[in-house]
This record gives sequence, structure tokens and C-alpha cells, in this order.
Amino acid sequence: MIRFNLNKLNFFIFLLLLLAQIKFVQAGGVVKGVVVDQNGRPVPFASVLFADGKGTVTNAEGVFAFEAHSERQSIKVSAVGFEPTEYSLDQNEGSVRIQLKEAVSELSEVVVTGNFGIQSVKNSVYQVRSIDKVTIQNRAANNIQEVLNTELGIRFSQDNALGTSNLEMMGMSGQNVKILIDGVPIVGRQGVSNEININQIDINTIEKIEIIEGPMSVVYGADALAGVINIITKNPNQKVGYSLQARLQEETVGDSYSPFAGAGNHIRNISGAYTFEKPLKIGGGLTQNRFGGWKGNYTGRQFEWLPRDQNLYNFFAGTSFKSFDIDYALDILDETISSFGPENRLEVIDRNFVTSRWMHRLNGKWDLVPTFKLSWQAAYTDYSRKTETWVTNVRTNETYISAAPGSQARIQYSGFTYRMLGQWLISPKLNVQPGIDINTETGSGERISTNEGIQDYAAFLTGEWSPTDNIKIRPGLRKAYNSAYQAPPIIPSLNSKFVLAPSLDLRLAYARGFRAPSIRELYFDFFDASHSIMGNPELRAETSHSFNGSLNFQQEQGSRIFNKTVLTGFYNDVSDKIAYGMDPNDPRITTLFNIDAYRTAGLMLNQTFVFQTLTGDLGISRIGRYNMLSAEQVSLPQMLFTTEINATVSYLIPILNTHVNLFYKWTGALPGFEMVTDTNGNFVPNEIMLEGFHWMDLTFRKPIGDNLSLNLGARNLLDVTTILSTSGAGGAHGGGPQRPMGYGRSYFLGLTYQLSK
Amino acid sequence: MNRIQKITLSIIAVLLSGSIISCDPKEDPIVEIPPAEEGFIEVNGGGATFPNTVFISLRKEEQLAVGRKKWDLAFSTNSEFKVLINGTTGAMAYETPEVDINAIGDIHAAPLRTAGELELTFTNMKSILYVDNARNPLSDPVIGVVSATDSENKVYILNRGSSGTDARPWRKIRILRKDGKYLVQHADITATTFTSIEVAKDPKVNLVYLSFEDGLVTVEPEKSNWDFAWTAGTSSIPFGQAVNGMLAYFFQDLVYHNIYGGVSAVQVLESEIAYDNFTEQNISNLTFNTDNRLAIGSNWRSGGGPNSAPSIRNDRYYILKDTNGNFYKVRFLSLTKDGERGRPSFEYVLVKAG
Repeated sequence: MIRFNLNKLNFFIFLLLLLAQIKFVQAGGVVKGVVVDQNGRPVPFASVLFADGKGTVTNAEGVFAFEAHSERQSIKVSAVGFEPTEYSLDQNEGSVRIQLKEAVSELSEVVVTGNFGIQSVKNSVYQVRSIDKVTIQNRAANNIQEVLNTELGIRFSQDNALGTSNLEMMGMSGQNVKILIDGVPIVGRQGVSNEININQIDINTIEKIEIIEGPMSVVYGADALAGVINIITKNPNQKVGYSLQARLQEETVGDSYSPFAGAGNHIRNISGAYTFEKPLKIGGGLTQNRFGGWKGNYTGRQFEWLPRDQNLYNFFAGTSFKSFDIDYALDILDETISSFGPENRLEVIDRNFVTSRWMHRLNGKWDLVPTFKLSWQAAYTDYSRKTETWVTNVRTNETYISAAPGSQARIQYSGFTYRMLGQWLISPKLNVQPGIDINTETGSGERISTNEGIQDYAAFLTGEWSPTDNIKIRPGLRKAYNSAYQAPPIIPSLNSKFVLAPSLDLRLAYARGFRAPSIRELYFDFFDASHSIMGNPELRAETSHSFNGSLNFQQEQGSRIFNKTVLTGFYNDVSDKIAYGMDPNDPRITTLFNIDAYRTAGLMLNQTFVFQTLTGDLGISRIGRYNMLSAEQVSLPQMLFTTEINATVSYLIPILNTHVNLFYKWTGALPGFEMVTDTNGNFVPNEIMLEGFHWMDLTFRKPIGDNLSLNLGARNLLDVTTILSTSGAGGAHGGGPQRPMGYGRSYFLGLTYQLSK
Repeated sequence: MNRIQKITLSIIAVLLSGSIISCDPKEDPIVEIPPAEEGFIEVNGGGATFPNTVFISLRKEEQLAVGRKKWDLAFSTNSEFKVLINGTTGAMAYETPEVDINAIGDIHAAPLRTAGELELTFTNMKSILYVDNARNPLSDPVIGVVSATDSENKVYILNRGSSGTDARPWRKIRILRKDGKYLVQHADITATTFTSIEVAKDPKVNLVYLSFEDGLVTVEPEKSNWDFAWTAGTSSIPFGQAVNGMLAYFFQDLVYHNIYGGVSAVQVLESEIAYDNFTEQNISNLTFNTDNRLAIGSNWRSGGGPNSAPSIRNDRYYILKDTNGNFYKVRFLSLTKDGERGRPSFEYVLVKAG
């Protein structure tokens, strides 16, 4: 079963321990010192520099030494993940001990995804987009969609029959985007990390959102093909004390609103955390989202956007011993989406979709020796989604649960993830990160044929090598075994970063990615009078070759108006894409095959500017999606491009002490082709188009006193409701010519209270 | 009733047909029960898989549920020799150039099967070519009028229909005339021998039904004893990408009124005259439909969409004139019974007695 040998792994760790014991020999007549963290643990490879830029680095045990020198009075000590510290040397002092503080406040400038621990954005080999807490606050967002909907390369589509939304990234469907909470995959309606409804995550627990484009399959395994969205949650302060947050927000849904309940959107949150003297932290929170739905063109009982009640709970506890950190987090989702049926003269039928998700996470970190650290995460998620059908007899006013077959359905998934990652600092120029990743998943329920679940075992190895200060190379390799489908035998990746000039960085990456077939695709069978769909247990994973590059031009802060320019490009070539087709043995049955090829390519340019209290971001992207019909119709263009433009402008009105924020995105028309029969009965390609649209939010935030802040603003200022598709094919699930995008211009007013000591 | 008895009855019926055909139904010796003044019927469609065709008599406040799979071919009982395939299972027929049933084998069926041409699916753009006219099947059946000249009667490949039922092996059929009756030759598509059965006309019913397994079977009530049928079945919609601009498709809630038995129907919108206000005086303004059995068809309910379930169209109702000249107003109430699809209900009121 498990392809890697545990004995070898043990030996490897033993070897690491052995190497770490090599002692640093001190020479006489020198100033020697040790750099430690807040817990007294040595910090290896910290840089210790004099004002003139000369200096040294600490060794594997945090020890440094240099010749005593009278002119050199002050040293600056810095290390990744710590705040830089100045230290005045006393010549009489033979041995110094310098303590570094962990850089928690700087989280917006660091990257968590894909690394062991944290790494500064500038040093990371990954091109990362992050959206921090402040942006989320400025948007007064209710869900993650309202934060990401003006990001380049991200598109949302609504499934208003189910009241959910799907995300598309870099021209690829949500099945190819891995959504993680602190690195742990999420379970949703389609199974583990497959088409996750991102709006089922509590926005109030989020510290920041990291978006990494391109496959991260070496570290995160399946489905991280288009990229990864890693949601980093808030972590209580290290200092003794408490923090409290309360939020109350009232919002219209289009033009419908009633105060505090019913129509409109009502958000309430309260959360708190306490850090004890002994190293123990606890925290928890509760969020209620009450979305009253939007009727749109309906006049009767039905809603175009279904009403949704969400209760989200979270709990956190953590402690640390000398070299050992452990914490536990629990996130609970309890959601009811109500679908009111149309008027009938006798019976009306309403459905509730009730989702429950309990996600347990256990994180641990163990610093075995200063140069070797281990971190692990174990997560277990229980997900269930019930469909309840209620019947009301209009004439007698009786309401009861329907007894019709299939009217009460339940799907259940459980997912278990265990990841262990080690970091071995071999030298300041080289570190190696071995890891194992175990994911198991079971699914059962209506229409899912009996199966033994999916077990996936993988081992991976990455590492960073800096041959010179200006070059960083990070190769990676993953080997996996999967019980249910044929996984690619080996997944390589290569990321690199070159400092071309002090303010110009180039990143180049190649990676192989894969998307696992979901439990639904493998085992979902659906037969009734108008459906004959079967899963295919023989499916293989979709695989891709992916190339990414980016050029960052970043000037010293505050020196120029246009201070940061980022140009990124990508090319993905997907083979064995899973698509629906006719069963060759039985043409009446639709099933899934690894038949298609798919490609995406794109370029993005992003410009940041700062002028006094005005800051902003401007971006443009051209993303191409492969035209599948061009394989047979050679005259058609192979790639179909879409343009997107976005802008964010923030201005602090000094006299009013009010932040004004404008978020804007133009999502260009999405072209496509479909086959139609012309007047002579021949199949001919016909160009179709999904209309483009503008989205704009305007928000104001004013701090009142130290603890309170007031938010008000308008979402969807341009009053978008639906966009048109010229596609002829609609059907029950195609969405028809009108695709829902928004529920019209909405206004909100919110209060946030924050207190910490 | 065993098969021999049924055949005997059919023969007697044929023998009597010459004298009955001119009779006025009102002279029927059966004692006439006064027509129902009003009614409420929960149609026994059989549930979510829509297994039944249900024939309704408003006058008698009766329903008769018959399994959709019960029959394969239906034979016209008037002077013409026309044969229908079972649209209620989504059957489709393909005319071969052969006249020898043994000359047709799976080799002829295989290309149709591979292309999906003889399957009633939304991806089959040629489906309209292989089905009976949904509105008036006897006016344009897929099987050509049975000729008195045997050499003009081709062999057909028949998909017995798998819409909402289990698929069954394809058949080959050829229909001839013999002594004023039909002579049906049928066999499994792979068979090298065939079965023959004679089908006599029975003028009491619109159509005589044949099952390949069970021989002659009773499906619809006598032609004056039903007004409309609710069933899943083949319908057609204009669709630009399909051959002839029409796509045959399977619809789960069709309502056919009994056009061959002389029932006529018309749709009335609430906005014109409210159901409650509709009286005898309003009848004269209406034009009743006598040749399109889909006048009610799929119009009585909305199809639903990506964000809504199918529902009764509350803005309309129907006036039916039965074979006895009774006028009823009919409105559909629900698509479900206790939440289960395939169990619709309707109510009706006698507007004018015949």
C-alpha cells in the first residue's frame, strides 16, 4: 500500500539529528553570541550585521562569533519570521544573548502557503497575491466571494437552483482550484477539495487570503492545478491578554430589506480569545449570516436568489512547551438554504438544503534541533448535506414532510488529512523539506454507488537552494499512490527566483499538476425518466504541464508614486481532461471519460501606486481558454481570449478620518463556439458569447474612538443582475440565456468593535 | 380473458363493424348515467417514474391507469390501415429498404445504435424523422400506410423505447394487410425467424393494441368512454439545430384529448374569463380543437428551469366537449400528491350538459 519505506524515513531523521550535533568551535579573542527566539530556542542562520553591512550569520545552533572591534558598536540581527533587532555591544561583554521577537504583525508581508512556516513575500519563490484583513474590513464583506469578485483571473458563477456559487480561476473550473484553510483541504458537496462553495467559510475568522497561481501539486497534491487559495485564519496573540471582536452589519439585498430579520442581509459576529500566563491560548467565535434572498422577477413564493441562514462557530485552543507547539481548531458550519416552490392550486413543495460541516484540525510543531523542525497537521471533516422536501396543501393549510421517493436525500462525506512537513536547514544556502501527505475520503448517499472511498498516500520532497544571493531554486518531487484512480506516478516541480537588479525580481516555474476525479465522477449514478448518468470508476487523474513566470519591479517604499509593478504570465496544458460523453456500449447512458485536452494561457499586469493618503492598484489581464472545437474544426481559433481590468482606490480623508475605498472590475465578454445545424442540416460551428459586465463597490470606513469603526457603502453600484449568453443550448442546468451575476445595487451599514489587552 | 377469447371478440367486432359504423352513439343500448356535475380527480400516474398512461372520463368521474410498457404497436380501426408505435415509451422506428424481414439483422441496426439515431435524447438531432406526429399521430405516422401490395410494405427497425422504462432489445417488424385485417411479422433484431400475428379492427375503440410478448392487449377504453389521457410521452418542439427545425423529445406530463373519439378542447386564459365566471354563455365564443391532441399537451404546466420546479400554470384552464356533447371546464391543481411527481390532480365542473 504505502510505497515509501518508513524504516528509511526513520533513518533519515536519525541522520539529520546526527548532523545537527556537529559543534561550532569557538576561536579565542572574539565576541561570541547566541540568537534565540522568545521561547529561548536558538535561531539558526540569522544574519548579524554591522552598520557598514559587514557581518556574519549564526550557525545551526544560533551561535555567532566575530573579532572584537572598537568602531563596531551596534549590530543589527535579522531572520525570517522575526522582527529585526538592533543591539548595542558592550566591549567588556564576552558573550551576548540576543532575543528576537516573532514578526506576527507583518503577516501581510509574508507568505505561508507552500512553505514551512512563514517567508517574506519578497524572498518567496512563489508569486503570491494576498488579500489581508484590512482589505476585508474595507470591503465590509459578508463572504469570500465579495472579497475575490474584483480579483483578476477569478470569475464566479451562481447556481441559483441550489443557492451556491462556483469559482473559476485562470480559465479553469473550480474543480482545479484547491481551497485550503491554513493548508488543510476543505470538504464540500462534491467531496474533498472539489468545487468548494467558498461562501461556506466564516469571513470573520480570516486573517488573510493567499492566492497562488499555477500548480502546487508537489506540496498540496490533487486538484491544485489552476492554483491554490489558502485561507489563513486569525491566531491569538502570543502576549498574555485577551481580545474581543463584535460585528453587526445590516444590508439590503437589491431593494429588499427589513431590519434585523427577514428580507435583506443580516450579519452578526462575536469572537474572543485569551492568552494565559502559562503558554495556553483559547478562543472562539460565532457568526450568523441571515440572507433573506432576492425575488428578482418572481412575484410569488419563489426566489431567484435563495434565502440562506448560516451559523458558523469556531473554537481554538493551543499550548506550547519548550520546543513543542500544539493547537486544536474546530470550525462548524450549519447552513440552511430554502427553496420555495412555485404556487400551485393544491400543493406547494418547498425544499431545504441543510449542510453541516465539522472540521477538526490539530496542528503541531516540534523544533527537534535548531536546524531541524517538524510540523504536522491532522484534520478530520464530517460533511453532510440533506435535502428536505416539505409539502403544503394550500386548501387545508397542512404542512408535512413529503414521503415521495427521493424527496429526502442525504449525501455524506468524511475526509481525513494528515500532513507532516520537515525543514532541515543544511546551510544558509540550502534547506530541504521532506513531507508526507495522507488523504482519505469516503462518500455515501443518494445516487452514489457503493464504494470503498479514496485513499491517497504521498511523500514529497522540496528544498531551496541559493547558489548566490541573487538566485533561489526550489525543486520538488511528489510520489503518490491512490486506491481509487490512477494517479500520476511522479509529480515534479521547479520554482526559481532571480534578483536581476535590487528592485527587479524574476520568478520562473514549471510544474506538473493533477486533478483527481471526484467521488461523484467515479461513483455518482443518476437514472430517472430524463437522466441516465453514470460515474466511471475507471477514470484517471487529469494532468497538466504548467509554466508560470513573473517579473516584479518594486521600488523602496515611499520613494515613488508608482512603487510596484508586477507582470505575470502562465501557460497550462491539460491532458486527460474528464468530460461527459456517450457510453460506447450503451448510447443511452452518459458517463465520464478522460478524453479532452485543454489549455489556458494568460498575461497579467498589475500596478500599485501611492500618493500621500491615496493608494491604489490597477490591473489588466488577458486570459485565453482553449477552444475544444478547434480539434475538429481546424479553421477555428484555438485560443479564445477574455480581457479583465480591475482597479482599487483607497483614500483617507484626513479631516474626517474616513477611509474611502472603490473596488472595480470589468469582466470582459467570454467567447466560445458551439455546434449548430444550419438550414441545410449540416453541423457548423457558431460563435457564442457570454456578455461582459462591470462590477463596482464603494465603501466608507470611519474609526470612532479606539475600538469602534463604522462601515457604510454600496455594493454592486452598477446594478448588475444577469448577463446574457448567446448560447442556444440551455436546458434545465445550462442556465439559459440569462446568467445570474448579482442581485442589484445594495447598501450596507455596519459596526465593528474591537478590544484587546 | 385469455388470448383466444380476445381474438374471438375482435373477430366478432369486425364482423359487426359494417352495421355499427353508422350508428349514433346515443342509440347505444347501455343506459346513460347523467354526467357528473363536478369532480376532483387525483390521477394515478404511478409516481415519480411516470409508469402509467391514465385515461380519464369526466362524465363518469373515472380513471383507468395502464402501464406505458404494456403495448408496442397500435392499429387504426377506421377505414385506413395505419400503425402507430408506442410514443409513451419513446419508441422510434426506422424504415429499411428491405421487404424480407429475415434479410434484416443487427448489422443494419448497429450503425443506428452507434450514432444514437434511434434514441429519444436531446442530443439526437434527427429524432423527429423516426417518431409519429405527436399532435395527430394517425395523420403522419412514421410507419407508412400499410399497402394492399405486399411488396410496398418495408421492414422497420423498432426501438421499443426506453424513456422512463428499461431498455429492451430492438425488434424488426413488417406489417401487411390480409383480408381486411393487419398481418404483423415481428422478430428480435438478431433473429432469423419471425412470428406472425393477425390484428383485426375493433370499431369500438380508436386503436387496437399489440404487445410483442402478450399479443393483443386492452389499453384505451372504448372511444366514447374517455375524454383525455395523462401520460409521459413523445412530444416535439421547434429547435433550430434539429432536422426540419423540430426536435422530438420526451415530456413527462402530456395531456392528450381524445381527438379520434370526437372530444374537442380549448384553452382559456384567466385574464379573458375567470374560471369561476365561465358559464354556458361563454362557450359560443370559443373555437374547439379537434385535430391536435396536444391542445392541452404540455401547456398546462410550466417546465421549470435552472432555478424553479415545474408548476401548474395558474393563469389558464380548459374547456372540453366530450363525445356526448357535455361541456366541462377543467383546471389542473397540482403536479404532485404528497410531494410525489407523476400524481397530478385536477378539478372540473359541468358547464353545459349535452
